[in-house]
Amino acid sequence: MNRRGRRAWRSVFTLYLPVTPFVLFALFPLYFMFVTSLKKNSELYDPTSIPFLIRRGVTFGHYQLLSGDTLFWSWFLNSLLVSLGATIVSVVLGILAAYPLARLRFPGGDSFGVAIFVTYLVPPSLLFLPLTTVVNRLGLSDSLWSLVVTYPTFLVPFCTWLLMGYFRTVPREIEECAMLDGCGRVQTMLRILLPVAVPGVICAALFAFTLSWNEFLYALVFVSPAELKTMTVGVFSELIRGDIYYWGGLMAVAFIGSLPIVIAYVFFLDYYVSGLTAGAVK
Amino acid sequence: MRLDIIAHLQLQTKKAAEVQSRSGHDLTALGPGLGDADLYFDYLADLNDVATDVAPKNGGWLNPDDYLIRGKWKLLPWWQPPFPMAVRTDLLEQIGEKSPDTWEDWLRVGRKGKAIGHPFGTALGHSGDANVTLLSILWSYGGSYVSKDGKTITINSKETRAAMEFVKRLYSEAMDPEVVAWDDASNNRCLNAGKCIAIHNPISAYESAKKDKVVIPGSQKEIADFIDHVHTPKGPAGRKATTGFWCVGIWNFSKNVDLAKDFLRYHFQPDNQNRWVEAGHGFNMPFLTSLTKHSVYKSDRQYRFIPEVAKVTVPPSWPGPTTAASQQVWDLYIIPDMFAQYATGKMTVDQAIAWGEKEMQEIYAGRRRKP
Repeated sequence: MNRRGRRAWRSVFTLYLPVTPFVLFALFPLYFMFVTSLKKNSELYDPTSIPFLIRRGVTFGHYQLLSGDTLFWSWFLNSLLVSLGATIVSVVLGILAAYPLARLRFPGGDSFGVAIFVTYLVPPSLLFLPLTTVVNRLGLSDSLWSLVVTYPTFLVPFCTWLLMGYFRTVPREIEECAMLDGCGRVQTMLRILLPVAVPGVICAALFAFTLSWNEFLYALVFVSPAELKTMTVGVFSELIRGDIYYWGGLMAVAFIGSLPIVIAYVFFLDYYVSGLTAGAVK
Repeated sequence: MRLDIIAHLQLQTKKAAEVQSRSGHDLTALGPGLGDADLYFDYLADLNDVATDVAPKNGGWLNPDDYLIRGKWKLLPWWQPPFPMAVRTDLLEQIGEKSPDTWEDWLRVGRKGKAIGHPFGTALGHSGDANVTLLSILWSYGGSYVSKDGKTITINSKETRAAMEFVKRLYSEAMDPEVVAWDDASNNRCLNAGKCIAIHNPISAYESAKKDKVVIPGSQKEIADFIDHVHTPKGPAGRKATTGFWCVGIWNFSKNVDLAKDFLRYHFQPDNQNRWVEAGHGFNMPFLTSLTKHSVYKSDRQYRFIPEVAKVTVPPSWPGPTTAASQQVWDLYIIPDMFAQYATGKMTVDQAIAWGEKEMQEIYAGRRRKP
């Protein structure tokens, strides 16, 4: 066996085998959702069936139910639009808030930082009642804008806090060089800091997108028409009817609903890891 | 006209938000239970005129006094899913039982069923089904938790002790321990999975088994063909049951109160109610006398006892009036917790009753209105 072959064998034992249990653990929910979504109802009810295998044939009936009998794809699109809109707004606001808190010295700066973090800790279950009044006065009830406007209440503090940490890892000196060359404060932020801080920004955006994608309470309270519901709420309304749960359909939604998040993380994994760790250790 | 479907578990949140912002829907579902109307009394339009218009056309309200909140029609009772006993006839035959009718009969059935791997199933956890079944047992043994005056907590009685002793035996001899973690869907699943011999539940389990053509495990026989529904059981003190009382009300901050009332008058017209009950396969029984005799209940043998169950169905606060406090007792699952704590051995019977009594007294004291 040559050196390359030996190295490959070694990596099987030192890398692939040790990692396999973790990969299986991480992928298990996705696998279980997918398998369940393809099972016939009669098999789903059978306590003697093996939960992890399909033994009585595959059915796409649950996916057909979603597409034909519910507004699932509208809900999916609504979730996507709201999540993208809220993420863009929140990341922009987060950058604008994090930069001065990380870089500028002004009276109460530290307190502002802590206050923003404390804001993030206020649970939505307390905020939804007063926010309902705000949404109503803005005339945004029963529209997707109500969510784009309210999601930043929990996304901006989070993005700000995360980006503050990341911005502080960027050496101040490169900004000072830019200023010596004639850049103003805003130009320095846009042309020097942000390009360096892309991993942090992507990390914040990924988190913001995930939080928006999974959000339930505000989407339930602020939007009622079936065609405007987001996926999380629509599924609850249509696939849980009293004491009847449409397990196959629910698992199909869970599987499809996971995919955008999975895809986003796969594309931006490297940025995400470096963004998270850089912000975390400094 | 727009109808929005909101899952029943999320209705409380939605209603709280609408009242807070004084905006939202014109009509709102209230329930399960009638207590919502007391909780939101100041925000609901009076429906005396609509209730008076609707009743004569439909043979009158079933039990009109039950639906009055502080003496007023603040809601129209909409529909109820009566709770018969759903039983596997093949298993009943296998264990040599015929026509069980009392709670003691069902304990015996459950004991024999459990011995052959088919236990009895009723939730003892935080679910509407647990509230319904345990209140039914409590009343059937002569107990109650609040008196007619709506103030005196009556849970500490020898009748309650008898009911709790019965449930402890039911739990330990006839059921599996998993029932303390059951939600509303669990007993349906247990019956349709071919495991449970019987469950105390509306006809939804049967309907979904029929629709999905669920088979008995290990055979090709459809399980729906072996499910029957019989009367809700009786106890030493008689036969009583409750259920989710689903009602409808109109927010008084709505800009369309009169239109909403007109819609209710339209919806409660006999023809529309007839079609509505038919479409619901008998699951949704209106609180209107003539509708309890609807032909749908004769269209399938499975439905034959549903009108009978409806006759013995009372509001969850019985014999006390419906109040926000009674709704809170329901929403906080005080009754299921009290029964479960004794049944599972966490508390003695006296401790469990004392705990339940204290919880209820605090709830009723906290909700007491100033004169």
